[in-house]
Amino acid sequence: MEPKVIHRVKLTPRSLEVDGKRVAEAVAGESFLTHVYRQRQMDYPKFFKMDVLCKLGFIASEILLETEGAERFVPRADRAVILFNRNSSLNADRTFQRTIADPEEFYPSPSVFVYTLPNIVTGEIAIRNKYHGESNFILLPEKSEEAMNQAVERAFMDGETTSVLTGWLEAVSETEYEAEMKLIMMM
Amino acid sequence: MELIEELKTKMIEALNLEEMTPADIDDNAPLFGDEGLGLDSIDVLELIVLLERNYGIKIADPKQGKEIFASVRTMADYVAANRTK
Repeated sequence: MEPKVIHRVKLTPRSLEVDGKRVAEAVAGESFLTHVYRQRQMDYPKFFKMDVLCKLGFIASEILLETEGAERFVPRADRAVILFNRNSSLNADRTFQRTIADPEEFYPSPSVFVYTLPNIVTGEIAIRNKYHGESNFILLPEKSEEAMNQAVERAFMDGETTSVLTGWLEAVSETEYEAEMKLIMMM
Repeated sequence: MELIEELKTKMIEALNLEEMTPADIDDNAPLFGDEGLGLDSIDVLELIVLLERNYGIKIADPKQGKEIFASVRTMADYVAANRTK
């Protein structure tokens, strides 16, 4: 048995690719993430409250899991969620900083503050899908397939994990982001 | 009445209720729970910030929140009686 990539999703401000095929392209005048959310008729109002990192992870994981085609929302502990990036929750951190930067307008935003950690997105995906396995967001100094593969391999060693939703998830602003998410199964 | 509409607009913006318009929010409907707007605990904190920022109201006693945020109408009544700006 060895880990095999079952499906891949690549999502950038310009396009959405599933298993290497381009399935959607950006349209003028609307956030591409919101465009994909509406186009795919995803019914999850909390989406609009999320920061861009969480929106990116939510959309990419939803498409990845739709592509998998397995029954959704069944509690399971054999699937891990392990994501990576370089800049943590930088966009939410900056947005929150703006709410406290001016002493005359010092109103820390609770709803922004809750997204000032990168592992909020792994938790969101795990909660949404009822995954009770490992949930981890790892910061790397740079995008490294080797480092990411090592983390996934370690996850499979716990004796319980049989699949891992993993990949690079970076969002430094509302218009600069990249998700390369994949589903890896031990086969 | 004008204050109620103003509050609805500010709530939609502050809580990112993108799918909603002021007309979708019933003046008397509960803001929390399955029957109402379905807001959560983080939304309550955001509403407290909204009242302080826009109307100069500081809610010192968290227990007051349940009554103040029962509906948009109770919020408007509280704002009208306690606003400092």
